[in-house]
Amino acid sequence: MPAGQHEDRGSDMSDSILIMDSVSKAYSASAPILKGVSFKQEPGEFLAVVGPSGCGKTTMLRCIASLMQPDEGAVLHRGLQFDNPPPWLSIVFQDYNRSLFPWLSVRQNVAFGLRDLRSADRDERVRNALIAVHLEHAADLYPWQLSGGMQQRCALARSIVVQPSLLLLDEPFASVDAQTRIDLQDMVMEICKTMSLSALLVTHDIDEAVFMADKVVVLSTRPARVVEEITIDLPRPRDQLVTKESPEFLRLRHHVYTLVRQQAKTNAVETLTERL
Amino acid sequence: MTSKASHIAPLAWQIGTIAALLALWQWSALTHPAPYLPRLENIAAGYVRLWHGDLLYSAIIPSLYRLAIGFAIAVIAGSVIGLALGYLRGLEPWTRPVLEYLRFIPAVAILPAALLLFGPTDTMRIFVIAFGSVFPVLLAAIDGARRVDLTLIDVARVNGLSVVERLVRVILPAALPSIFAGVRIALSIALVMMVISELIAADNGLGYYILRSQRLFQTANVYAGVLTIGTIGLTLTLALLAVENHVLAWHRGWRGLSNAGRTA
Repeated sequence: MPAGQHEDRGSDMSDSILIMDSVSKAYSASAPILKGVSFKQEPGEFLAVVGPSGCGKTTMLRCIASLMQPDEGAVLHRGLQFDNPPPWLSIVFQDYNRSLFPWLSVRQNVAFGLRDLRSADRDERVRNALIAVHLEHAADLYPWQLSGGMQQRCALARSIVVQPSLLLLDEPFASVDAQTRIDLQDMVMEICKTMSLSALLVTHDIDEAVFMADKVVVLSTRPARVVEEITIDLPRPRDQLVTKESPEFLRLRHHVYTLVRQQAKTNAVETLTERL
Repeated sequence: MTSKASHIAPLAWQIGTIAALLALWQWSALTHPAPYLPRLENIAAGYVRLWHGDLLYSAIIPSLYRLAIGFAIAVIAGSVIGLALGYLRGLEPWTRPVLEYLRFIPAVAILPAALLLFGPTDTMRIFVIAFGSVFPVLLAAIDGARRVDLTLIDVARVNGLSVVERLVRVILPAALPSIFAGVRIALSIALVMMVISELIAADNGLGYYILRSQRLFQTANVYAGVLTIGTIGLTLTLALLAVENHVLAWHRGWRGLSNAGRTA
């Protein structure tokens, strides 16, 4: 879609960190994954995308990161389209033990994306990123010498060291234990606040989405489209106990949960009808 | 099993076995004097002669030179082409059948063709060494590159690495353990091809030295030449292992840890 078509929708369009404009993607004609996904993310906003499992969340993320091109529609950053993974964006992948380079130390892993910098500047930025994720003591260890949570913190440091405007998080806490997950959630929120970072979290965990985000986007079953956008106006800073016990949190959680459940049921009925 | 005793005992056995074999040889040579069974001191003298003076320059150095060039070509060409073929999967349908066919041709079989092509020259011998030893490296590099985790490539793409940068900074290090396994096999093949290539129309090199000594019935020198090739093979293998241990220290730790995880 030519960029010209977006210009007449108001000047605030060009400020958005991310605009998904009717993005569709199919691996084959009979297997559409995304069908007209549209939403908008403002600077500094923490956005969570939830949906039934297998609904195409990861495909959507790959389209946003330009690791994959959508068949239809456009992904816009400050009003402009982009073809290759842009420098203002970074990703934390789900599998930390597959996304870290086992032949590089923690320090080298974090420095991986830093190029065209004087080595003093690079060292400084790596050190700050490691301090932000509390890994400065483990800088010379290798990823396989770290626990799962530490590995994911290393991946997080590598993502923030390039000072992105948008941090994509692809189920980043799915492979760690419950206590580590809570610590990582708090750490990510803290980092986003101090760095004024926009984050887009893809997750299947509704509690996590409501707890962390300013806005939750609920996707339908495959082919995914946006069912509803829910603004989460819970006060910040958010606390694992206080926030999660507040009536407002429970109400929002109930609402999002119901939407996702409905999707799963609709899907079951549709599949059944198709077969009959 | 890391106690000192468990290391010393096998070493003593190893030395003992070697000493026993040498004693058996010497006893046979003394009790059954025959031209094909020279005494140890004669073989030792021949061995020492090979490493000193003229023979070093006419036998050992030419062989090592051909081996070094041929083996280096095999390792570099095999790695570069293999990584590219393994990573750029689109090329595979075209190249795979050719490679699968070529790998089954024993390098010895192309010796006459190489002789016709290049004449009895160093180029011919280097070509034969390189041809023989390139396939283990090439196939190992293809395999290594194909098995690189796609998440690592995504990380590289998100960080803006070009295709060439991805090959150098991600595919190559990830495939190195596989490449080294291929290089070890390639080294033994390269040694074989070095000797064989010097048995044909040569006027120097270790292969030629052994052949000439045999024709002159200098049996002790034949065995001295054979032992020299063994020494070279052992030394190069140990050197290769040292490099591998240094370069792939991460891999041993990584693999050791995941193995420990599996058995736990």
